[in-house]
Amino acid sequence: MPISTDPCGDSEPRREKIGIWLSLCAALIWPLQAAIIAWVLANLLTGEAAISAPLAAGGFMALAVLRAGIEAASQRFLSDSAEARVAALRAEILTVETRAATASQIGGAGALAALASEKLEALRPYMLRYRPARLRSTVMPLLLLAIAAWYSWAVALVFLLAGPLIPVFMALVGWAAKSASEKQMVEIGQLSDLLVDRLAALSDLRLIGAGAPVIDGFADASESLRVRTMAVLRIAFLSSTVLELFSALGVAMVAIWVGFTLLGELSWGAWGAQLTPFAGIYMLLLAPEFFQPLRDLAAAWHDKAAADAVLDEMDQWRDDERAARLGQGDRVAALATLPTVRLRDVCLHRGTRQICYPDIDIAPGDSLAITGPSGCGKTTLLRLLAGLEVPENGAVLLGDAPLSDDNADAWRAGIGWMPQAPHFLSRSLRHNIGFGAPLRPDLLQKAQLPGVIDALPKGDLTILGERGAGLSGGEARRVTLARALHRGPGILLADEPTADLDAQTADAIIDGLLEYAAAGGTLVVATHDPRLMEKAGKVLKLAAEEGAA
Amino acid sequence: MKPLLNIVLLLLRGERRALLRGLALSITVLIMGVSLLGLSGWFITAAAAAGLAGIGVLFNVFAPSAMVRFLALGRTAARYGERLLTHDATLRVLSRLRIRMLQGYLVSPYRQLERLRANSFLNRVTADIDALDGVLLRLVLPGLAGVMVIFVTAIALWFLVDPTIALLVGLGYLVGPTLIFLIGQHIARPPSRQAEAAMQASRSRLIDLIAGREDLAVYGQLQATRDHVQSAQARHGAARQQLDRIERRTGVGLDLIGAGVTALALGQGIALVQAGTISAAQSAIGVFAALALAEAVAPVRRALSEIGRMIQAARHVLPALSGAEAEPDAEQTATARVSTLLLFDLTYRPGQGDRALFEPVTLSVGPGETVALTGPSGIGKSTVLLLAAGALSPSSGGVNWGGRDLQGYTPEALQQSVAMVPQRHALIAGTVAENLRLAAPEASDDDLWQALETTCLAATIRAKGGLEAKLGFRGAGLSGGEARRLVLARAVLRRPGLLLLDEPTEGLDDATAKQVMTGIRAALPEASILMAAHRPVEIEGADRSIALRGINS
Repeated sequence: MPISTDPCGDSEPRREKIGIWLSLCAALIWPLQAAIIAWVLANLLTGEAAISAPLAAGGFMALAVLRAGIEAASQRFLSDSAEARVAALRAEILTVETRAATASQIGGAGALAALASEKLEALRPYMLRYRPARLRSTVMPLLLLAIAAWYSWAVALVFLLAGPLIPVFMALVGWAAKSASEKQMVEIGQLSDLLVDRLAALSDLRLIGAGAPVIDGFADASESLRVRTMAVLRIAFLSSTVLELFSALGVAMVAIWVGFTLLGELSWGAWGAQLTPFAGIYMLLLAPEFFQPLRDLAAAWHDKAAADAVLDEMDQWRDDERAARLGQGDRVAALATLPTVRLRDVCLHRGTRQICYPDIDIAPGDSLAITGPSGCGKTTLLRLLAGLEVPENGAVLLGDAPLSDDNADAWRAGIGWMPQAPHFLSRSLRHNIGFGAPLRPDLLQKAQLPGVIDALPKGDLTILGERGAGLSGGEARRVTLARALHRGPGILLADEPTADLDAQTADAIIDGLLEYAAAGGTLVVATHDPRLMEKAGKVLKLAAEEGAA
Repeated sequence: MKPLLNIVLLLLRGERRALLRGLALSITVLIMGVSLLGLSGWFITAAAAAGLAGIGVLFNVFAPSAMVRFLALGRTAARYGERLLTHDATLRVLSRLRIRMLQGYLVSPYRQLERLRANSFLNRVTADIDALDGVLLRLVLPGLAGVMVIFVTAIALWFLVDPTIALLVGLGYLVGPTLIFLIGQHIARPPSRQAEAAMQASRSRLIDLIAGREDLAVYGQLQATRDHVQSAQARHGAARQQLDRIERRTGVGLDLIGAGVTALALGQGIALVQAGTISAAQSAIGVFAALALAEAVAPVRRALSEIGRMIQAARHVLPALSGAEAEPDAEQTATARVSTLLLFDLTYRPGQGDRALFEPVTLSVGPGETVALTGPSGIGKSTVLLLAAGALSPSSGGVNWGGRDLQGYTPEALQQSVAMVPQRHALIAGTVAENLRLAAPEASDDDLWQALETTCLAATIRAKGGLEAKLGFRGAGLSGGEARRLVLARAVLRRPGLLLLDEPTEGLDDATAKQVMTGIRAALPEASILMAAHRPVEIEGADRSIALRGINS
């Protein structure tokens, strides 16, 4: 059952379009402002028309206000649409990851969380800057070229020559930058993986005096990253330098040509009649604006590259065919009476191996130990019973009804679950046991937890490390037992509850489990532990793997 | 704001010369930009005036036109140099900062270090430090350069054009953007803090959802966790939009200041020309300089959008750095190579409970002696070892090594003769040799092989490809028992006088366990060995065993 998500609403592209066109409108106002300045300065020279200082300055300012207003509106539309887009992508990741029964190919929880949080932020600058810059850079240079050509073919020629060369150089430099920055991205990724690895071991490495070598290793990696980053920056700066060079030379050439023509030293380049002072000053004011949109585009090029990389990763993530888990994982009322669970002709694949189970009936109040060599499918059986795994053949029945989307949540509401390697939420220990429900001292006592809680710096409000850092293996096991007991009576599925524990702790855990069974709970344990098998009502021995299918 | 200032001083201290040169170049770039536009404006207007008057032939065209070309090329070159210089210096300073941060963490208390979530610390070392790169590149340097250039331009306008225009342009550009910056950073701080906090929350909540989704599904908590993530994402979106709004408004403010100053320069220019005080060409200089200075204040907008994040990063980073600088009170005394470990009336009260973990324990471990500590798990065996290693401080009683209390040694001195192997296998990605040399960087290959022999691992490692065999993250590729023996071999390489072992043979079969314990003793005949043990094979191999007793049970 592949997971589908709704495509996002269509108002977002429209808002973006409005924003982009408004940004062009704002840019179109500058030629008018420049005309005012050129007209004022030209008339100050010639004295042809009377100029009112307040009127000229006021007109210039009024246009500036208009321009700033349009620009702000454009930014607002773009920002809203960027926010909507980012939010939609985040919601998509969240929806799919909530439903998915299997891990994504692009990485674990950390990688996906990084994609959904920091990495998607890269779309904002792309949508705010790159898209509008692209439209401006296709329209504005052509418009300014036309204005320039109206007054002088020489200035138009300068624009025409310098303008198109810029994208050519940009493409060349951008191409070099891309490969350099890809190398750098790889290095950054490796550096953080290495760091996480070393940091996780830092407290223990310090105990054998290995702190200093770890820091030295990190210093080397950090230095090599700096060198690599500088290599990327050097190319990036070179590309913007090329742009600035062309733009500066273009402006200088226009200035010099206009100056010489106005002096009368040059008589070519204008259309027939002499170049007017207005036209000359106007050209000079327009020249930098001819190059500006191209420079904006180049500055935003990096934003585009970053956004492309993120969108690629999103696509890669979407390409996975992910199976959905049974049920919503929501809190619902438990089934009125606990049914007998039956396995009928259940077979499934683990990699290339096929595992088939005998038909099993587990009635309320049973206590069953599942044993067998490692790899025979003990854990998978528990997962089948919890509806975390769906059989390829046969069925898991609750009474007579197959375990399905409709009854999975209600069935699970009666399950206490003790996995071998629990993930502790980065919330208080209290929340990790009761999920918001108040803790019951009698159940904590059964799991022998009060002593453990007292030893933590903030008691049951202590926030644990991902793997339960701050707790020993046995203590973490007792936390998962307490969590399962808080579920109330029903069925308890425990995966190797006594593995890696010393005899005393293991006994305590076994006592806790047996008390649960004695109180009428159904107990299913996957275990190697003879003591546990001895005390269970029934023992199911699974055969070793059945050859490759 | 204060943490930010401290960080600025810290950053400046590192690369002062490179940064000063970078600053000089930034100023050059801006001045050349203003001059280019001002000069071009003057040149054209003056040329037009001369042309109109018919005295074009007398006008010296070559100096200004050469000047225009020089400024155009010089500005571009200066810009390139400035960028390379400042970025390189900044990267160097930040790299050093990262290392100091790591050193700071290394001297922090053991319990704190143990609880540290590698991912969140990494975030601090990378994201926070990256946020600080803007402090110099986008805040301090452009700020200083901008102020300087506005001053220089105002002075130039005073002499070349007219004092009133100089004052209009100078004051307009200094006062307006400064006000916008001060007000803007004040308003932007709360949403910026909220955005950052919400981002961290949504990140760690999503990690919980994905990593724990099966447990959460069984416990019916999946949808609640999903809502929890969603609420953090929504908070982030709201804060982000508020930041965008502030940025937009400051942008409008800056645009209007630039336009306003230009309009004033234009109006005043018209009035002065009409009054005959200055020429049209001089008024052009004023207008063009006013237009060009917009470039000098443009960085304010970017700086404002980042300053909230920078202040927070500075707050996170500074305390981590202070640890690296604090000098321990204890004197640097070399510890004895061989001695007796004495624990007397030692207890430890962890956390908020004022109940001690175990009854006061007194014991001694002489050179060449092996003592086993027994007791149920959770009673505090590992804690006693950590106390003996000096990683924790006792609540009462004391630990004595080499004839003096552990408090009298610096951590470095203590590590020279004390080594502890905790329960977790502290292995890292890299070769077997790299993992071993973490403890003894100078060790030769022969030493490494010898240590591996001691813990019965040499044959296994040879089969895996020798010392250069690669291990995955957290030592993946070795079984639990192999990893165990590798960390024991590593401890042996340090040749400690006091060896503290926490359940050293966990995951080994009895025969191998016995061999390993004998091997370690043979390799370190004079060492005092204290181990937390629960397997008979460990307890039987010890000279004595001491049971740790819980309080009230």
